[in-house]
Amino acid sequence: MAFPSDANVIIGLDRADDAGVYQISDDLALIQTVDFFTPIVDDPYWFGQIAAANALSDVYAMGGTPKTAMNLVAFPADQMDLTILRQIIQGGIDKLKEAEVVLIGGHSVKDKELKYGLSVTGFIHPSRVLAKKNLRTGDRLVLTKPLGTGIVNTAIKANMAPTKLIDKVTRLMAVLNRDAAGIMTGFDISACTDVTGFGLLGHLAEMVCGSGMSVQVDSGQVPVIAEALEFASTGLIPAGAHKNREFREEMIAFGESVPRALQDALFDPQTSGGLLISVDENQADALVSALKDKGVGDAAQIGKIIHDPEEKIYVA
Amino acid sequence: MKEIDARGLACPAPVIQTKSALEEENPSSIRVIIDNAAAQQNVQRFLDSRGFRTALEQNAADYVVIGSCDSAPSVQIQPAASPLTDAKKIMIMCATDRIGYGDDVLGAKLMINFLRTLKEMGDELWRLVFVNNGVKLTIKGSEVIEDLKAYEAAGLTILVCGTCLDHFNLLEKKRVGETTNMLDIVTAMQLSDKVINL
Repeated sequence: MAFPSDANVIIGLDRADDAGVYQISDDLALIQTVDFFTPIVDDPYWFGQIAAANALSDVYAMGGTPKTAMNLVAFPADQMDLTILRQIIQGGIDKLKEAEVVLIGGHSVKDKELKYGLSVTGFIHPSRVLAKKNLRTGDRLVLTKPLGTGIVNTAIKANMAPTKLIDKVTRLMAVLNRDAAGIMTGFDISACTDVTGFGLLGHLAEMVCGSGMSVQVDSGQVPVIAEALEFASTGLIPAGAHKNREFREEMIAFGESVPRALQDALFDPQTSGGLLISVDENQADALVSALKDKGVGDAAQIGKIIHDPEEKIYVA
Repeated sequence: MKEIDARGLACPAPVIQTKSALEEENPSSIRVIIDNAAAQQNVQRFLDSRGFRTALEQNAADYVVIGSCDSAPSVQIQPAASPLTDAKKIMIMCATDRIGYGDDVLGAKLMINFLRTLKEMGDELWRLVFVNNGVKLTIKGSEVIEDLKAYEAAGLTILVCGTCLDHFNLLEKKRVGETTNMLDIVTAMQLSDKVINL
């Protein structure tokens, strides 16, 4: 399919990055993104916060600063009380306030199934755009949030997750990637994306495809919610994780010692997941310590980029 | 052989059905039919985790998992995977730093004792919310600060009213809990099974 384009498009659909980027002057480009979904937690106020954190994340992943947002709402007004919608939107607004982003509009439709999300617009200097397809040999990979939210959400649906774990995961999904993004801009970064529906390995595969490089992942260093591994080993795995594995299987070589449950977590679709950052090898330790110092406590170095035209992901 | 037809069901429903069948009937062999490869893997993983030997089959659009074990296994309830239908969510709303009226010194002692004894509620204790004078229990110098920190470390969500901290000029002195707002408190009340007011 051919998409309409013009000379000012820095990143468009043909490159399928986290967000589109459009240059409007020598020193300013717009970042635009949109994301919405059905509720992933029962609490409407927290669902609103998570949806907003998730939508904002794509702007942070491009290295930009989100500025404005618009609501997207689908609501079953004849079956559900409007107070629920008010709580969702208040959650979104409070998260936008935290991110210093203004809400300037929106659109709602009546629908059988509740959905909420936002379109977000941000600013960036055209020369500072962090594309995902720009890996550099020798770089280290850093991940800023633990994996496993999709598996835990499946356990919640199965009524097998304790309330304290639900709280923990809810709060984790509502954490903005703003601090991580702000810290990252002080380092020599070659590429960045955020981990969402395709899981860590799915998003990593997008970075690797066409790069002429391969990646080694040290699975033992990848931050994972401990309970998610327990749930995965009893078969509480979202269908999306299986699809992610199937889709990228040929690119990925697992070492024999990588437990099956950990492999599932590496493919687990994330909601409002962390940033996946490719940083200069000599700055990786400093980046991780800076992240930890500023409250991004789960940040960890999880792998490195190697020169290998096979374009594979080796997980040991 | 116990048979389960879970075709047409999305994950995690096939696993839940298989789990209920094991818990209710304790079969030594079981055959589960599903309609996609993801559910097949999940059911296989579940049966493996419960000590069954498993084999997979596929006939046309049907995916099958057959599980068997030598002696009917006793169903093991694992801590992270036990059913939680009966677990209640208790929220405690603490609007004061002492219990009752009369003697304030006694009231303050009672409150300390109350907060230390709360752990007896176990996992049902879900939210501990401090508003008005209650926020003074969460600041530097409070006698229960270490107890509250221990609850928080054990996973309890402690919410402290931001408007109240601000009113008493204590925002900088808070040492435990998350600063919260009224909407978060109201939705927590709505979701909890029991709210205890102090």
